[in-house]
Amino acid sequence: MRSYLIIGASAAGLSAAQELRAADPQGKITVLTAEEYLPYSRPSISYYLKSKVSEEDIYLRPAEFYSEKKIDVFTGARVTGLDPAAKTVTTADGRQFSYDKLCLATGSHPFVPPTEGVEGKENVVTFLDFASAKRLKEMASPEKHAVVIGAGLIGMKAAEGLVKLCKSVTVVELAESVLPSILDANSAVMVKEHLEENGISILLGNTVTRADSQGDTITSVELKNGEKLPCDLLVMAVGVRPETALAEKAGLRVERGITVDPETMQTSDPDIYAAGDCVTSVDMLDGSKKIIALWPNAVQQGKIAARQMAGKADRLTENFSVNAIDFFGLRICTCGLIHAAGDPYRELVRREGSVYKRLIVKENKLVGFVLINCIENAGIYTALIRSGTDLSTLQGDLMDMPTMLLYSEAERTSLLLGGEPA
Amino acid sequence: MMRYFQPEFHIVRDPARCIHCGCCVRQCANECHYFDEDGKTVLCRDESCVSCQRCVCLCPTGALRIEKFKSDYRESAVWTQQVQKEICRQASTGGTLLSAMGNPKPYPIYWDHMLLNASQVTNPSIDPLREPMEIRTFLGRKPDRLSFTKDKKLLTEMPPQIKLETPILFSAMSFGSISLNAHRALSAAAKELGTLFNTGEGGLHPDLHDMGQYAVVQVASGRFGVHKDYLNNSAFIEIKIGQGAKPGIGGHLPGEKVNVEVSNARMIPVGSDAISPAPHHDIYSIEDLRQLIWSLKEVTEGKKPVCVKIAAVHNCAAIVSGVARAGADIIAIDGFRGGTGAAPTRIRDNVGIPIELALASADQRLRDEGIRSRVSLLAAGPTRNAADVVKAIALGADAVYIASAALIAIGCHMCQTCNTGRCNWGIATQREDLTRRLNPEIAKERLVNLVTAWNHEIKEMLGGMGINSLDSLRGNRLMLRGIGLTEKELSVLGIRHAGE
Amino acid sequence: MKKVIAKENLCLNCRLCEVYCKTAHSKSKDPLRAYLNEPELQSRITVCGDNQKSVAVQCRHCDNPKCVEACITGAMQKDPVTGVVTCDAEKCIGCMTCLAVCPFGCIKIGETAVKCDLCQGEEEPACVKNCPNRALVYLEMGGKADA
Repeated sequence: MRSYLIIGASAAGLSAAQELRAADPQGKITVLTAEEYLPYSRPSISYYLKSKVSEEDIYLRPAEFYSEKKIDVFTGARVTGLDPAAKTVTTADGRQFSYDKLCLATGSHPFVPPTEGVEGKENVVTFLDFASAKRLKEMASPEKHAVVIGAGLIGMKAAEGLVKLCKSVTVVELAESVLPSILDANSAVMVKEHLEENGISILLGNTVTRADSQGDTITSVELKNGEKLPCDLLVMAVGVRPETALAEKAGLRVERGITVDPETMQTSDPDIYAAGDCVTSVDMLDGSKKIIALWPNAVQQGKIAARQMAGKADRLTENFSVNAIDFFGLRICTCGLIHAAGDPYRELVRREGSVYKRLIVKENKLVGFVLINCIENAGIYTALIRSGTDLSTLQGDLMDMPTMLLYSEAERTSLLLGGEPA
Repeated sequence: MMRYFQPEFHIVRDPARCIHCGCCVRQCANECHYFDEDGKTVLCRDESCVSCQRCVCLCPTGALRIEKFKSDYRESAVWTQQVQKEICRQASTGGTLLSAMGNPKPYPIYWDHMLLNASQVTNPSIDPLREPMEIRTFLGRKPDRLSFTKDKKLLTEMPPQIKLETPILFSAMSFGSISLNAHRALSAAAKELGTLFNTGEGGLHPDLHDMGQYAVVQVASGRFGVHKDYLNNSAFIEIKIGQGAKPGIGGHLPGEKVNVEVSNARMIPVGSDAISPAPHHDIYSIEDLRQLIWSLKEVTEGKKPVCVKIAAVHNCAAIVSGVARAGADIIAIDGFRGGTGAAPTRIRDNVGIPIELALASADQRLRDEGIRSRVSLLAAGPTRNAADVVKAIALGADAVYIASAALIAIGCHMCQTCNTGRCNWGIATQREDLTRRLNPEIAKERLVNLVTAWNHEIKEMLGGMGINSLDSLRGNRLMLRGIGLTEKELSVLGIRHAGE
Repeated sequence: MKKVIAKENLCLNCRLCEVYCKTAHSKSKDPLRAYLNEPELQSRITVCGDNQKSVAVQCRHCDNPKCVEACITGAMQKDPVTGVVTCDAEKCIGCMTCLAVCPFGCIKIGETAVKCDLCQGEEEPACVKNCPNRALVYLEMGGKADA
């Protein structure tokens, strides 16, 4: 009986555990998580902040799931040591676990740049896991001025959640646009305006240089341009870094993220696999190596890692980013190479009022899109990207709302029937 | 532009029930329903409503109703609204008025003036659920006598016979006048019911090639789609001389209805008008007709019975006699209320005679001349229900043709505008978006259900008369009594008055 | 598992499937009350196209559903026994990730994701039962139930 060990219990870890059970009904499956909670939805923490999700609803599976599936989950188990030769791991509290096959799904950690007067202050928080979200929610109150450093997904989601809880929310971003990872320049302007209309102050091309405190509590921050902002709550959301410390210590190859075979998720140690935000992925659309820190990718990678660990031949066939997000009712959906510009890329843009659509085409194939307030059926575009469909085989205007009628009748029938005869 | 006449119908939309789902908008080919500029609120206009009832039938909340547009003219029994409207319409177009389906005028319907007998005490009635009841029908020329060898083998050479499991056949409706899906349904229903459908003068679509054995293939004045294989791939051949809805008139399928499919079946170029001349240009006498009958027999090696279809006109008894002597095996008589895809209104409403009278006189004439068994008689135009069928058989028909009833079974609501090509039920149209509306599978089931139901009713009526075989009813006019008829009518029908 | 098959050549573009889908998923199960009192209802089947060409599309209940993979809350699940992919409205937060990955465009977003559940518990889904032209049929399609 094989013994599988998974370190990390978010998207990749849970998906790996579940897939392992499906692939190997007998094997021993152990999941270690440093957090104090059973697997929960990290993206949901912003909804928790908005009180749209309660504490009970944040868990991904009911507690019985793990006993039914015979998956042993150890919470509060921070892994500090990994010995690939002995095939064991040890936790901070001294527990040791052995494995036949190991999956690293350690995710990422917030990057907190050193800033004068910030370290050690009690009203500074990050916003990545449930514990930090709980802390932030407890600290927020209607008389407070909140400052968020970083206008990425995490920072903006924190800001959105804080708007109703605090007296003011100011986002400070060093770059010249908001949400640079998911938006192109045009759409970033639209989104910024929308966020501002909904009560968030956004300062671009700026950053916090130092903080002033009374005792342990920050009271104001000073910006690069010399401006001073009152600050009762400082959210550090500059960015995240893949959690690779364990892998590095164990001698696995790491380049920003843990290096894996992009199709099998195997690390430089044949018995160790890695999946999710902690690995360096290869974007299938342009072959570039990058960290794709997105939920669906983590789930797929966890699945493939699990299949491989159980001795199955499945391989990862797709890897590109897809993101859908909502800010105060503004619906955004983006996918693929949204920043690609110039030859060989071509773009199709339509903008009407608060609706924006930009498609990025390369060699007659769709390779990216940015949709704002026109996200209906976005998955059809995603599918065109995934399949690398030659756009000349499609019918109708690609810029209209995509429907299955884009495909020829034969192709459509085959897709809808899943390749099976009626 | 000022209209000189009012719309025929008024669409009533119940605002309390309309959910603005837009089903009616998308279903009305006459564009009576439409969305307001907001793209959400449904509105309607009366002008082009033909009361086909499509929207009414599909509206999920029953919010729609069609009523007659009522705007009363000063009363006149002579210059009725209808008369005035027709005049105005012609005054604006300068053209012949066109209509479709059968004569709608309130001429007497003799079926409704004939009553059937039932057994009491003597010759007791029969329960068709308990005892066998024969409605199987054979069409074709019957020999005058049969001779056998000493060991009881048949010596007489039997002319070809058509075996039907019911005395009901589907009448001629061409592919072109009706959709391919309608033809598919008719052919499949005929197969399942053990009866026949009729290609009309439009030929047989290649998709239906395998259904040839259930087809009556028509040879009409336009000779569309007629070739050797077509003639041989059939149950029998019908020479169409006339049609009840428009006796003396040819046919005209406008070029816009001649799409690729129709063009293939008819063997004419796409988009060309398909004109069937009023007469067959090779038939000017009974002798000419005889030549055509025998050429058709020749080409089918005598294996296919040949039927001649004529419209019920004033001297049809004599014509039937002539046709029988010309060598026809089956004669179909089509009454003046028979349907059509398009006919000049004046012809449809004023030419021809009722099938009941034509049938009775033709049957009588053939008997009087001693040649009744040489031909089978088919009555058409129209039979509306099983009672009409039973009465037709008692008057002397061997079987009946149904067409209008079959169309009603598959969705037709007798809006009488087949000629526009905008049939919302997908029947009398070639527009692809409309023909799709007729699922041949559903339509077939409905046709099978209809004829099955009529078969049951026929058996029930037969049993009531103490008769257990349709053959015993054929021409048995003693089973009929007239009601509210004049002496003359009774004598033409060859029946006694009720109470006699 | 049994799936709904849409026969394009018989689709009338009447969109009654949408009306009856909404009705079946309404509180009242009555079309009038559903449309009047529950304006937020969305149909889980969508007819795309026009009278010339139309096709009804709804969830294909894929063997390896992208939407389940993408779901960040665990609301979207494929039932291991029936194979039906459903979205638990209690857990769904309407993040739209499922919509962004569904290759057929079968997911709509209101407060939560809305998708075809094959009218669970009914012998035939409402769209199939009420299609006036049998353009929608409910057929055994094979495929694995267990995702």
